[in-house]
Amino acid sequence: MDDQHLDGNGIAGLLGEIAGADPTTVLRTCPSCRDRRPLGEHRAYRSAGVVLRCPNCADVALVVGMHDTRLVVEWHGVYDMGRSIAS
Amino acid sequence: MARAAVLGRLRRLPWRLATVRDIVAETPRARTIVLDVDGWTRHRAGQHVDVRLTAEDGYQAQRSYSIASAPEAGVPEITVERIDDGEVSPYLVDDLRPGDAFEVRGPIGGHFTWSADEGGPLLLIAGGSGLVPLMSMLRHRAARGAAVQVHVLASARSAGELLYSDELAVLGPREGLRVARTYTREGPPGWTGWSRRIDAEMIADVTPGAGARAFVCGPTSFVERANDLLVAGGHDPREIRSERFGPTGG
Repeated sequence: MDDQHLDGNGIAGLLGEIAGADPTTVLRTCPSCRDRRPLGEHRAYRSAGVVLRCPNCADVALVVGMHDTRLVVEWHGVYDMGRSIAS
Repeated sequence: MARAAVLGRLRRLPWRLATVRDIVAETPRARTIVLDVDGWTRHRAGQHVDVRLTAEDGYQAQRSYSIASAPEAGVPEITVERIDDGEVSPYLVDDLRPGDAFEVRGPIGGHFTWSADEGGPLLLIAGGSGLVPLMSMLRHRAARGAAVQVHVLASARSAGELLYSDELAVLGPREGLRVARTYTREGPPGWTGWSRRIDAEMIADVTPGAGARAFVCGPTSFVERANDLLVAGGHDPREIRSERFGPTGG
């Protein structure tokens, strides 16, 4: 995994595999502080997987675990994907 | 039709074969790699690609690199700076030759992007190789002949380490464009400009007026400092977009 980028932009390729669309412009509302910010501005921390944190209060936004070839994702908050399903 | 459109939009980004067309030395530690990519779709200024190298034994290493070229160039160029104890960048900077191939995925990212159609004014703040995606924006502005007001603050350790130095001096349109530099270790001979880390005075000096959108790219500590200075200087946090690189890695 890449350890150069340390925000949501740098793991956009990985998040794109999960969300199937550009994730950096997705607006997340944090359940802790109610701040509403694009995922691209969230902080990314890497170890075995990736933890994305709110840029305002540092609460956990997203945890991505990689288990062999499986991706396991835990989401916290409300994610506004900015588009409709079928239009 | 609607279903097909949705499936098309949700398709994963595939890994594609990239062949090195050309290599351009930028500084003693950095060079630009011009790529031909099968099925490349036009990027937007500010986006990046994921690069994946595979060793003969199957071991893979993956990194993200910002695209330096304008969308109008048609092909992606990445500028890579060697990190001496890095795993990938020494190979890309020292060993890679034209005709070599590796895999790329992209273009990626829609947050840290700008199009001339969005207008300005813009404030671009770069620390070290954080200049790469901002250069794509400047080249895009030039390719479009857009007289959007853009002010640049580029921080580099020395004049010899400032990327694209010659091109920055001749980029057009000159109207509305200002490039300010600061050298944190040493300036060129006779330099009387800034020779220190970015600070509030510099931010105030380069800000192109109220309502500017700021793009900040560099090492994490640089980006945090720039963002704090911008907010303290009255910039709307919602108009600041940032992209961070780790202090090491590569």
